[in-house]
Amino acid sequence: MALFARTPVAPLEYSRTLWMRLWVGAVMVFLYAPLVVLMIFSFNDSKRNVVWRGFTTKYYEKALGNDQLVEALINSLTIAAFATLASLVLGTLAAVMLWRFRFPWKGAIDGTISLPIIVPEICLGVAFLMFFAAVGWPTDLVWPFNLGAITIAHITFCFPFVTMVVRSRLASFNREQEEAAKDLGASEAQVFRDVLVPHIKPALVAGALLAFTLSLDDFVITYFTSGPDTITFPVKVYSMVRFSVTPEVNAASTLLIILTVILTFIALKAQGVKAIAETH
Amino acid sequence: MDFNELIKQTRGRRSLLQAMGVAAIGISFGGLAACSKGEGKKLANGEEAKLNFYNWDTYIGETTLDDFKEASGVNVKMDLFDSNDVLFAKFKAGNPGYDVIVPSNDFVERMAQAGMLQTLDHAAIPNMKNIDPTFIDVDYDQGRKFSMPYTWLALGIGYRKSKVKAKPDSWKALFDSPEYAGRIAWLSEAGDMFRLYGKYLGKSVNALTPADIATIEAMMIKQKPNVKNFHVDDGQDLLLKGDVDLVLEYNGDIAQAMTEDDDIDFVVPKEGSQLNSDNLCIPKGAPHPKNAHAFINYILDGEVDKKITETILYPTPNAAAKALMPDSYKNNPVIYPPADVLAKCEYAKFNPTLQPLFEEAFTRVRAA
Amino acid sequence: MAEQDWKTSKRTFAAVSLPTLFWLIAFFLIPMFIVWQYSLGEKVGETGFDFSGTLDNYKRATEWLYLTIFGKSFAVAALVTLICLIVGFPVAMAITFASEKWRPWLLLGIMLPFWTNLLIRTYALMMLLGTQGFANKGLGALWEGTSWLKTLVGLQPLPTWEPVQLLFNNFAVVFGLVYVHLPFMVLPLYAALDRLDRSLIEASLDLGAGHFRTIMRIVVPLAAPGIIAGVMITLIPALGAYLTPDLMGGTDSQMIANVIERQFKKANDWPFGAALSFLLIYAMFILIAIQSMRKKVPEVR
Repeated sequence: MALFARTPVAPLEYSRTLWMRLWVGAVMVFLYAPLVVLMIFSFNDSKRNVVWRGFTTKYYEKALGNDQLVEALINSLTIAAFATLASLVLGTLAAVMLWRFRFPWKGAIDGTISLPIIVPEICLGVAFLMFFAAVGWPTDLVWPFNLGAITIAHITFCFPFVTMVVRSRLASFNREQEEAAKDLGASEAQVFRDVLVPHIKPALVAGALLAFTLSLDDFVITYFTSGPDTITFPVKVYSMVRFSVTPEVNAASTLLIILTVILTFIALKAQGVKAIAETH
Repeated sequence: MDFNELIKQTRGRRSLLQAMGVAAIGISFGGLAACSKGEGKKLANGEEAKLNFYNWDTYIGETTLDDFKEASGVNVKMDLFDSNDVLFAKFKAGNPGYDVIVPSNDFVERMAQAGMLQTLDHAAIPNMKNIDPTFIDVDYDQGRKFSMPYTWLALGIGYRKSKVKAKPDSWKALFDSPEYAGRIAWLSEAGDMFRLYGKYLGKSVNALTPADIATIEAMMIKQKPNVKNFHVDDGQDLLLKGDVDLVLEYNGDIAQAMTEDDDIDFVVPKEGSQLNSDNLCIPKGAPHPKNAHAFINYILDGEVDKKITETILYPTPNAAAKALMPDSYKNNPVIYPPADVLAKCEYAKFNPTLQPLFEEAFTRVRAA
Repeated sequence: MAEQDWKTSKRTFAAVSLPTLFWLIAFFLIPMFIVWQYSLGEKVGETGFDFSGTLDNYKRATEWLYLTIFGKSFAVAALVTLICLIVGFPVAMAITFASEKWRPWLLLGIMLPFWTNLLIRTYALMMLLGTQGFANKGLGALWEGTSWLKTLVGLQPLPTWEPVQLLFNNFAVVFGLVYVHLPFMVLPLYAALDRLDRSLIEASLDLGAGHFRTIMRIVVPLAAPGIIAGVMITLIPALGAYLTPDLMGGTDSQMIANVIERQFKKANDWPFGAALSFLLIYAMFILIAIQSMRKKVPEVR
């Protein structure tokens, strides 16, 4: 059954069965094929990435020399980092509230928390545009405070995703653990930190990944909440792609993908060693 | 819950935080650099040395902004928008701090009507004399009270020469014939589509009535099965990739595509077409109006605009700049379509009562 | 385990509820209230607006034309969610049961493509699917190969290869949306599957049930909260998708978000755009509220 197995496959090692491997492999091909095409065409000596016209690295030079692109990327990463952290906190609190307590208007509040996910982007974008104009939000602050309006908007549409994921995980929490901890004298905060948070950790990771991705990708809401000094990566990319500067964008994306892979590789390697040391 | 599992689960999370930490270091360096530039200095005209320019991407010379900084000391910060609609929507809540914007002709009219634009001080823009006189008294801004022309464009048919039998010099090929079924792309812009259909029916783009809209809607629904795609102004890419063979596009976009592929050509149909023009304007509430005037004046300089035109390859309304351009540009029939065809082309006026009708009819066409 | 009444632990309740409620009210409900006013008014001139309490916008939004677009969008989103579930469930299983060495890599493998900008990904996908794209070239080569093999054994060759239409139709929209939304399904599924009590699966297998039956009868019910979360997180954004139908769709692929977007931008008809948005919001709100009020499936533990 298992092609590469050196030891017999245990019943629960689903990831070692052949069909499972084929399935995951096919999904990975599906996910990565477009990216591979993109990477190949970033070396294409043509302004439009349609036909292969020879190898060049000039678009990498251009992308790296494009100050606005680099600045936009830095802005986007900053926003995504802050929005992810805040969404994790808010989203987890909301999930705990909904899971643990019975209170009046619960159905309505539950529905409201999920609302930012369903409001069409453009509608939320316009809402924030009018809102920030109405409260007179200053647009000439120094970096990074000029990103405040965008970050606030991002938190609003990111944290419900965290809530959903965390809540589905909380459903499996065994309350007796909490009771036991309390019987042993732990305070509410200690229980939260030492019992509840460890249990929901996978959901926190998943939620953080979702929030980070959503924030990094958002164009419409960002557009409507940005001021004159706050260009972000999607906004820059949109206008570049719309005007056929794609190879440069491809080059920048390729660099980003490689950078992400290297960073995560290093992080995982470093922690891998530590984790092994801890378990033994 | 066992302990080993916990250890395992902490990993993904930590790595993410670490990655973020690295990102944050990069950010703080970039941020400090961004803060320190162009602060504090005041110019002779009493304004700080800053200008917020809101432009389309790739719509300026490669060194124009740096050259301007050298000439005047003003640091230009260029921000990007990708359609007139979002520009307008964003200014609805008030000017978020821009000094110079580049709307198209109908939006100049619309924004002027909505009171979003400042009247230009012509005394501060002496280079206005460089503008081709035919571009001064235009319908959308008589006497250039609010805007200075930056580029102009004509809609027409871009096509692949080897895939058509004859030059498709009538809108019929796109609008009313199954000849090129499945190889046609239209613009996704409702107003442009209806107005061009009007042209095909021999009407002025500004003389359509609700009855005409109903007629055109029926014609569109009839032609729709032959159309492959409504493109979002990336028709030249569709043409280059070979996804379609005939595409409704602007001449400037096709001129750029032609530099990459000899098999592509462009024609403005004999029924005439619609012209567009992008304009430099100063929105109300601009924080640096004097710098803005100086900047517009700088761009209208012959040499400066020549450099811009060399990069963006669009037709320029600047006579002084055009005179400086090489013949290969001046005599390019795609960039400058023949005069007899141009005579039949018109600028679309902004029409607040028809626009929603166009939109709704086009939604019906898409849903049909 | 029953939920705790908020009165029994007021301080904890305040600690978890106040930040959420504050954020929701200040940075969501108030901005949305401004737009909600628009849905009950009419526009005056180009920028003006008059709050007249009229229901005309809603009347127009419930016309047959828009209802069919709503219906179609929902059908597309539901199909996308279903495909994501079918494709994503085994992947989430694989991640859950992977060795601890592989698990973080698989998770990242799923997420990594999504740190590339959505528009860039969409364009890359379009490059792949176009008439001259690699997918078509691959299929073409396969076709020619078969044709050649047939002549080799003395059969009639196949007719010449005609590129398949993979782009600019509804297939492309569904394909593109599945591509974009897959991690939204995999992550919640993983978060839910990860805490499964494995002894239950082992018991099922020991008692003679097959793998498939075990999955359907044990794993799926146990992972129900995660599946529901995944479905919601996929279905709802898919319903609001506008970029994919815009770029990859054909002449009849508009979804409701495209229509809404055009009201706010091209048509400059904010009241109508707001009414369409709120119609969508009301429907979803009711759906979610009902789901949360219904008594939860009893905990299996």
